[in-house]
Amino acid sequence: MRLALAIASFVVLIVHGLVFYQQFFHKWENYQTAYFDQARALSKTDAEKAALTARSPRIEQSLVTKFGENRVDRCITCHLAMDDPRFKDHAQPLRTHPYTAGMGDVQVNGKWERRHKFADFGCTVCHDGQGRGLQEHYSHGEDEYWPDPLAGYIVQANWRKDFSTKLKGKDYMQSNCAQCHTEENFAGTALVDRGRKLFFANNCYGCHRIEGLSEGTLGPDLSEVGKKFKIDYLWESIVEPRANLATSFMPQFHLSEQDVKALVIFLKSRRGVNFSETSLQRYRASLNAKRPPEGAAEPVALQGAALISSGEKLVTDHACTACHKLGSRDGGIAPDLSFEGLMKNESWILEHFKNPPSKIPDSIMPTFRFPAADFQAMSTYLASLKTPPPMPTPADTFKELCQRCHGEKGDGHGPIAIYLDPYPRDLTKAGFINSKPVERLQNSIKNGVAGTSMPSWGQVLNDNQIQGVLQYVFTTYTKEPRKEITARKVPEKNPVAASAESMARGEDTFVRRCSGCHGRKADGKGPNSLDILPRPRNLRNTAFVDSVSDRRLFESILYGVQGSAMPSWIDYGLSQNEVGDLVNFIRGINARSAARK
Amino acid sequence: MAGNPKFAHNKDAAGEPGMNRRRMLAWFSGFGLFGSAILSAFSNLVFIKPRATYGQPQRFNIGKPEEFPSGTRMALDTRRVCVVREGDKIAAISTTCTHLGCIVSVADTGFACPCHGSRYDQDGNVTGGPAPKALPWYKVSLAPNGELEIDKDTEVEPGSYLNV
Repeated sequence: MRLALAIASFVVLIVHGLVFYQQFFHKWENYQTAYFDQARALSKTDAEKAALTARSPRIEQSLVTKFGENRVDRCITCHLAMDDPRFKDHAQPLRTHPYTAGMGDVQVNGKWERRHKFADFGCTVCHDGQGRGLQEHYSHGEDEYWPDPLAGYIVQANWRKDFSTKLKGKDYMQSNCAQCHTEENFAGTALVDRGRKLFFANNCYGCHRIEGLSEGTLGPDLSEVGKKFKIDYLWESIVEPRANLATSFMPQFHLSEQDVKALVIFLKSRRGVNFSETSLQRYRASLNAKRPPEGAAEPVALQGAALISSGEKLVTDHACTACHKLGSRDGGIAPDLSFEGLMKNESWILEHFKNPPSKIPDSIMPTFRFPAADFQAMSTYLASLKTPPPMPTPADTFKELCQRCHGEKGDGHGPIAIYLDPYPRDLTKAGFINSKPVERLQNSIKNGVAGTSMPSWGQVLNDNQIQGVLQYVFTTYTKEPRKEITARKVPEKNPVAASAESMARGEDTFVRRCSGCHGRKADGKGPNSLDILPRPRNLRNTAFVDSVSDRRLFESILYGVQGSAMPSWIDYGLSQNEVGDLVNFIRGINARSAARK
Repeated sequence: MAGNPKFAHNKDAAGEPGMNRRRMLAWFSGFGLFGSAILSAFSNLVFIKPRATYGQPQRFNIGKPEEFPSGTRMALDTRRVCVVREGDKIAAISTTCTHLGCIVSVADTGFACPCHGSRYDQDGNVTGGPAPKALPWYKVSLAPNGELEIDKDTEVEPGSYLNV
């Protein structure tokens, strides 16, 4: 017992001693003592030496009260020599802060004078970090969860190793210069400017909002992105958008390293604050910004060519090509608009602009809130685009028109396919392609598939060309020779009268038999749907359901859809009357939603 | 001495009960606990005194001597000092009233406190009002970067100037 007590009491003593040592003996005291010693050796007069001898280590700080919000920076406690020009070749922390003309420092009579005096501006205004911290990991910020480590100097231990070498360097300081030097083309913030230009050149502004710069709504708001994220996260998010968010559909831009760096610096400079302002000044400025301009002129209704050219400008300004393809610019997410006028008419485009899901229910295109006049101008412009690309052979036709969605291999995995719902058809599935009559396939090409992203190519291609591209698909992708299609015996018209009872019976059957794949809401998102390709049809897609005849619904339900997961329900004992109820139910849910509009 | 050196070591000359294992452990425990008690008491005492306050720093630079031409009497309100230059001589006089700590303003005759009417002459000596003593003078020196440094922790005799 006594031995245990003796050991325990000694352990307590040692722990106490360690805590005491940690709390009351600091590294910065050693740095300051070293500074006094070295400065004493460098000083010329006895008075200077005496003054240094009289000094003892203590916490030094600069209180910044006349520049933006009040700040307390204690960096000088360790970096005591930062304003002492004699220490310019010493090792950190006792080294003179460099004088550079780039920071506005000037030489007078061979002596440097600072433009940004530390007592007036502090340290963290430029360097980031935590001004109050007196230990390295607090002040410089080697903390995983802390977004503002010393910009350009500290790379955290847990940062991605393959990026870490790129994240260091004084270039990153520019993001902090830009906190106060907000003007464009400021000589000291060349990389911020470059990043800003890239932000517009690469259509980032189409999806992302940055207060005062852009109004995109698809992607995250970047107004304060520099405050929330460290440079490694920003770098990673630009290079690999899906690294942190698996569902992100931000395209990979394949920028050069210099461009990524400029963008990171630009984004890091977006903090929603200006260090030179206090929050009250900022609030006043925001009030003034929101006030509508007085005496704004009524917009003049444009006509003809002027309307088209204003539409063209709007399409550029609103960054439609961040997603869509238009001429040489391709966002790689949404369909090609280069000859939209041949595929859609003006009123379709206008209605689609106002509410995209009204035309294609599962479209991811956001409902933009532009003025009606802008929509009109953009629709007129898009409807005026009527120049199809040259396509001498069916192979060219497929390449120009089909490949973007259906893919190089015709397997429905084109570059933009993942953004489309329903997915483009897999043309290599012989089971499907060969079970459908050529007329239906031709019709799908000529008139498009309503409610989906398949446009009508009737004005782009003549019948021979359609025939040609279809033949090309058969031989290149489907490969299997077409066989005689067995004619099914199905009614032309639904023999069961549409009544409330019939629909209720249909719903009952639907919930029991169909909802596993088509979902309880009949929206094609049932629990099994994710395992199935092609995906189950969204039966609430009114435009599609309305375009399909009773005959086709009967055939698909009774005999299944070859090349898809839809089974032949006649084998599972569904009678023709039950299918009739189902068809009434499907028509019913779409009729209701149509009435609601 | 013969025998076990451990026991031999524990016996003292007066023949008092030796330092056996039991006593030694008790001493060790006492030393450990008492030591940590002293350490913690001491830490608490040290802890009470703040290491840094949110006041303006006591030692600060005010700029190059050229910024204060001869004849200057410039009060720096946030720093609470008045920089005085006469010819090549520079000094810093406190502008905190010695009565109740108001900021005195620079007047033609010296300094005047707006709160209770204390008056000081050009050198900070009391000439009227409730102020109990003269305004202190602070040490002015030349920092290595060529700027003037005022150290409010070090008071100097009134009339001692820095020659620049």
